[in-house]
Amino acid sequence: MWFPTWALRRPDVSHDHPAQAVDGSNRVVARNQLAAACGVTIGMQRRSAEAICPTVLTIVSDESADMNRFEHVVVQIETMVPKVEISAPGLLFLPIDGAVGYYGGELPLVERISKELASIGGDYRIGLAAGPFAAYQAARATTLLEPALLVGDDELFLASLDVGTLTSADLAATFRWLGITTLGSLADLPKQAIISRFGREGFVAHQLARGIDRLVDPRTIPQDPAVESSFDPPINDFEQASFVARNLSQRLISGLGESGVAPHRVIVSATAADGTVRSRTWRNADPFSDKTLADRIRWQLRAWIDGVSAGVRGGLVSLRLEPADLSGSGRQMALEEDAGSFEEMQRAFMEVQALAGADNLLMSSPQGGRDPWQRVMWTRWGDEKGSPAYDPHAPWPGQIPSPSPALVPPAPVPLEVSWVAGMPEHVRLRSRWVPVLSWAGPWRSVGKWWAGESSADRYQIVTSAGAYLCEIREGKTYLIGVYD
Amino acid sequence: MLTNLQRKETVIESISVDISRRTRQIEEIFTLDPGQVAGLSGLPGSGLTRVGLSLIAPYAQQGALAFLDVRGWMSPAAAWEMGIAPERFVVVRTRDIITWGRIVAALLDGVRGVYAEVPNGVKDASLHKLVAKARTKRTALVLRPLNGQLPRGIAHLNLTAREVIWDGTDVGHGRLTTRRILLDASGKSTRGMERIIEVEDDGTNDLRVVPHMGTQTSRRLA
Repeated sequence: MWFPTWALRRPDVSHDHPAQAVDGSNRVVARNQLAAACGVTIGMQRRSAEAICPTVLTIVSDESADMNRFEHVVVQIETMVPKVEISAPGLLFLPIDGAVGYYGGELPLVERISKELASIGGDYRIGLAAGPFAAYQAARATTLLEPALLVGDDELFLASLDVGTLTSADLAATFRWLGITTLGSLADLPKQAIISRFGREGFVAHQLARGIDRLVDPRTIPQDPAVESSFDPPINDFEQASFVARNLSQRLISGLGESGVAPHRVIVSATAADGTVRSRTWRNADPFSDKTLADRIRWQLRAWIDGVSAGVRGGLVSLRLEPADLSGSGRQMALEEDAGSFEEMQRAFMEVQALAGADNLLMSSPQGGRDPWQRVMWTRWGDEKGSPAYDPHAPWPGQIPSPSPALVPPAPVPLEVSWVAGMPEHVRLRSRWVPVLSWAGPWRSVGKWWAGESSADRYQIVTSAGAYLCEIREGKTYLIGVYD
Repeated sequence: MLTNLQRKETVIESISVDISRRTRQIEEIFTLDPGQVAGLSGLPGSGLTRVGLSLIAPYAQQGALAFLDVRGWMSPAAAWEMGIAPERFVVVRTRDIITWGRIVAALLDGVRGVYAEVPNGVKDASLHKLVAKARTKRTALVLRPLNGQLPRGIAHLNLTAREVIWDGTDVGHGRLTTRRILLDASGKSTRGMERIIEVEDDGTNDLRVVPHMGTQTSRRLA
């Protein structure tokens, strides 16, 4: 749900006069129909806009004040659809799975919401799609006369859109230079080709073009990641609350950073002295940084404390931030790295991929299995991690205990071992026989006997040159790991 | 009687102070500052992969680490057990001697620590260029020649595996638990002196430098 001219909904802005809102860098972020008729466009420099439309009224956008006014709308929408997610003042995402059933379908729901918004007045747009990116683009594709658009197939709808709808202007310019002008033509390209040429940024764009914009990779977090602060005496002052918001957001982001994740959605909950609990969910396409999150909390607190929703009676006694939709994609930004070095890494890996081949730049993650080679799941850098072939939470009896061998051959290597009375006596390493000092095992692996796989006994053999992991299968000894 | 006891106590105290000072000195040797290069030489099985990983592991807190795997045998589980997060560890496989130098150079541009196996036939000039690049980019670099040793003057710290002693296994029972690795250290970091470093590796944590009180010789099973 999008209010394109929200920044202009102020008492000092007249409806019958061209008006525009600019951000801190003097670029137009919103303009009304009259200004648009004069040729003012979003993203235009203030000076250029004023040159083509000299009578335009220019105001500087204040997101905190905008949010303060927007809270009223959010409260109204929340009476119809719960768990509203705010992306920015004037932009809301509604998860409608439950509401569609309640109102009897998508169309009745949109009609109900449209009716509600019409009572608020002004320019509003509604886009309905499977993912947030497609929904936002659908809202942008609407007009003042037809303010709602329901998308049946995200990929089909996005196919005709220009690549300029992607968030990165540089990437869009490169795509255009390569002759890729629409999201459809981008989606048609092979994923691997995009990854090897553009890295993660290209991969994300490709996913968006294919209508897959739930990029969130849910991960298990070891402990409750929520952070909370209590205040005694209660806080009544907005400035003081802003300071607390900054500290709390830093605590949350750095705490999550230690687990290698960052949030895409954060639930902000505030408890008033009279026991009232207010809660609001904020979302962002990119993972929140401590600064962007602190801004959102500050806007929200101002909306609650100074806003129309009866304030926070008796003052604020506790503030809680609860992350949701955690993703690993914000990790590098959180761990003492700046954006520059992350980009350097991306660039270096793309170069390595070009030199060594896409199959030879690999990330790894743990999985289950009995043998050392089974316990590593390899993924090409830039690819999405698949589901593990061996369940990491299963017990795996007969698993070789840690420490793990540092070297594991891709296939078992035949090894010459002399056995005396069932005990290893000597091992042949290169050209010489080395005496066995001690050994442990066997750890028996039965294998998939129903599929014709033979069983194997694994031994740890220690020599003066080092320790080796061997297996005996069908009477032959193989090297399957080196404790290097 | 009392004087003798006091004298013995003083001697023991001075020995323990000496040991802790020596351990600290060796710990200082057994670290790799940003931009420094370490060279490892020894047979597979001597524990040098884990030694090399432990030298670059501290940089995983700051950014990604890369392992250039020429043999194609590297198992990242050993790195995870050292506390390196899987998301921070990338493995590059290449056997091509022509692109090897360019790949290491590219990795030095983007990561904080590189462990590179050196294939046979890499020219000394290439290694010198990579060392200079590592210094410029302040990236820790560990070089492990697959055969022989690095040319002189390349590495800040040269470590050669002398002996590895495993604990935990016996005649058909137990399991590998801890090993002590004896390393000959030389190079600028030892100020030109040959030093023996003994490190303990229990497989679950970072390697720990232990005071080298004497080498236990390998024993043969009775």
